[in-house]
Amino acid sequence: MSSDYEYSDEDADYYDDDEDMIDGTQEDGQSCRLTHRSTGSASDEEMDMDAFNEDFKVITKATRKSYEIPYESLTQASIEKVMQADIEHISGIFGVDASVASLLLRHMNWNKERLIEKYMDGASAVSEAAGITLPEPPPSPVAPIRSSTSSSSSRLSSGIRRATRRNAAEPTAAATFPSTVKSKRAPALDPEPFVCPICFDDSQTKTLGLECGHQFCTDCWSAYVESKVRDESELSIQCMAEGCSLVAPDVFIETAIAGDKSTWARFHELDIRHFVASNPNLKYCPAPSCTFTVSCPAAASKSSLATVVPTVACEAHHKFCFGCPIDGDHRPVICGIAKMWLKKCHDDSETANWIKSNTKECSKCQSTIEKNGGCNHMTCKKCKYEFCWVCMGPWSEHGTAWYSCNRYDEKDGIDARDAQSKSRSSLERYLHYYNRWANHEQSAKLSMELYSKTEKKMEEMQITSDLTWIEVQFMKKAVDEVDKCRMTLKWTYAMAYYLEKGNEKELYEDNQRDLERAVEDLSELLEQPIEADSIALLRQKVTDKAVYVQKRNEIVLEDTANGFVDGRWRWNVSVDGYHAA
Amino acid sequence: MADARLRRVNKEIADCKNDKSSQIRIELIDESPFHLKGSFPGPEDTPYEGGHFEVDIVIPPTYPFQPVKMKFITKVYHPNVSSASGAICLDILKDAWSPVLTLKSTLISLQSLLCSPEPNDPQDAEVAKHFTTSKGSFDETARYWTQIYAGGPGKSSAKAEPVRDEVAMAGLEKAHVDQYESLGFERSKVIDVLRRLNYRGANVANIHDDRIVEELLK
Repeated sequence: MSSDYEYSDEDADYYDDDEDMIDGTQEDGQSCRLTHRSTGSASDEEMDMDAFNEDFKVITKATRKSYEIPYESLTQASIEKVMQADIEHISGIFGVDASVASLLLRHMNWNKERLIEKYMDGASAVSEAAGITLPEPPPSPVAPIRSSTSSSSSRLSSGIRRATRRNAAEPTAAATFPSTVKSKRAPALDPEPFVCPICFDDSQTKTLGLECGHQFCTDCWSAYVESKVRDESELSIQCMAEGCSLVAPDVFIETAIAGDKSTWARFHELDIRHFVASNPNLKYCPAPSCTFTVSCPAAASKSSLATVVPTVACEAHHKFCFGCPIDGDHRPVICGIAKMWLKKCHDDSETANWIKSNTKECSKCQSTIEKNGGCNHMTCKKCKYEFCWVCMGPWSEHGTAWYSCNRYDEKDGIDARDAQSKSRSSLERYLHYYNRWANHEQSAKLSMELYSKTEKKMEEMQITSDLTWIEVQFMKKAVDEVDKCRMTLKWTYAMAYYLEKGNEKELYEDNQRDLERAVEDLSELLEQPIEADSIALLRQKVTDKAVYVQKRNEIVLEDTANGFVDGRWRWNVSVDGYHAA
Repeated sequence: MADARLRRVNKEIADCKNDKSSQIRIELIDESPFHLKGSFPGPEDTPYEGGHFEVDIVIPPTYPFQPVKMKFITKVYHPNVSSASGAICLDILKDAWSPVLTLKSTLISLQSLLCSPEPNDPQDAEVAKHFTTSKGSFDETARYWTQIYAGGPGKSSAKAEPVRDEVAMAGLEKAHVDQYESLGFERSKVIDVLRRLNYRGANVANIHDDRIVEELLK
């Protein structure tokens, strides 16, 4: 196995530290990339600029590569902290309880600015809409669920009315539940037993109700909240009374479910998810049961997705795209193109292409015709137009040349044939890219197999030579690299399908070809049988190649990413949100 | 929780029995108290007057925190009730449900739904179209359905089952049906097409004969 790029170094330490090695070869990788660019016909001036840019990037490389995006993985606790800060901020400005502030924020989808604006316009309207205060009647401006004392010890009672404080507007309710009065109320009212209007149970002594005064037994409340939270994933839990729009604050919910930890945890999770979903800078990790959130302000706006591919990973190393729901890493292609490509692959839109390639259209009435035998003298079944199947021209011009068509130059025929060959070649073009795309996807799927094979080889190596475990790790690293590069290659084909022909595409395909060749070389090396006397040589080759592959991969990613930023790419279709500079 | 549901349903059934004034009845279909049959008379001054409407009631395990499932057993000609399945489009049976609502109050709501149809939120689009284009013809058909299916007044005094007039059932004019039948099309097909095209009242002028023949030939 040899390649154009071999790195040999006498220094024995060289191989023991991969990181060093990467840095050591950086200059080489850079220069070969530039050579490739110069093979394209870019003007010299452009070249210089690019070279300058590249130099600049090499300097700043320590910070971030151009195809990477700054992001941060956040834990659930840190999200809660942000939420808490928002709540405190609002509660400070409006002078309301934290639970009220959180209801307001939830109602406005955590948009603080709009909440403040609206609240200043009309506090009561917002409070009513958020289910904090009753819309009618207005006489007594009921403070949003608030207890007279504001110490933290009273927080529990702030959202809960144990029938000790009742709304004067509800005289009917007043007579129903004196039994629940916790002795503070004078026993003036008839001690008629309280009958919960939901379960009709008169033996219940504990009741709960919101500010509206509608009282229900605690069992019903708990069943209701549980069904809302668990079955409907509902965060805003309204009073059970018909048509009552009051929303239960958190403290009330906590009391209602009385120690049901899993429901409370679910409620809490819904709250956090709602916060994350409302904030365009945040995204929940889509991996099952992963609780991390990723913050990526650089990819928050839709327009930014035309220039960056926001591949992020949460703390648990789940890689996902911040901009679209495609699984995993689709670099170097931007979301819009990746989505378009996947749609094209999933659609059976190619059926139409088949029809185009295997049938012809009557040049007069445009009916689709498939010739399944017979001579070239065709008569359209529909419009009775007579034409030649070979040249598509009218049969009348053929004279007596019945079975051979020598009229290739006729204009009518040329036009008809043009349309024909165009659609046929479009199918071939699609299949060219699709086959390569699918091939890399398939190979990536087989990587698990390659892993186990490599593991065996590594064990073998430790036995047949005097290499230690740490010294055979280069094999695993190489497999990782191959896997990663196949992902890149896979998506480069999706991109190439949509790239407009031209110098830029040629350069792009040069880079793609170099990466592909290097990856294939490396996977071949990995498949080679191991012989005791050649291990040292194999190790050197694999390590060299892996470094080279890594470099080539970076070049492809970086060059493509820069192209998006510069607006260098031209497409043969219109791409959502992408405007060429 | 299961106890609470059973207790509540039993109480609701008992309450309904004791309350003679509302004319709403709830009966058991089989042994289970969670599968019931409700019934109420058609409201006065409507095409449903005099009819007796039966409703199938299924009580879900999460009742009363989730709404009951109700559908008409009796066929009803109404924009918010499917003329085929009896499915009902009513907000309180969906998102506007509140645990305080009872079987009785829900049945009363159904009764009042018959008084005030909501053609803008239809369950049965064809019936709703009929309702919006010609109210008079709609009322006639609804009355006819009430008579045929819900035992409404106007039923012939003889006990014998009256011959069901398919044309009136579909709310169409006999003359129109006869006209196309005479062209050699099957009567049932003519009725089906004219109903689908809403060939009624003022709409008749809007639909060209060719369109109907085209549909009939399909």
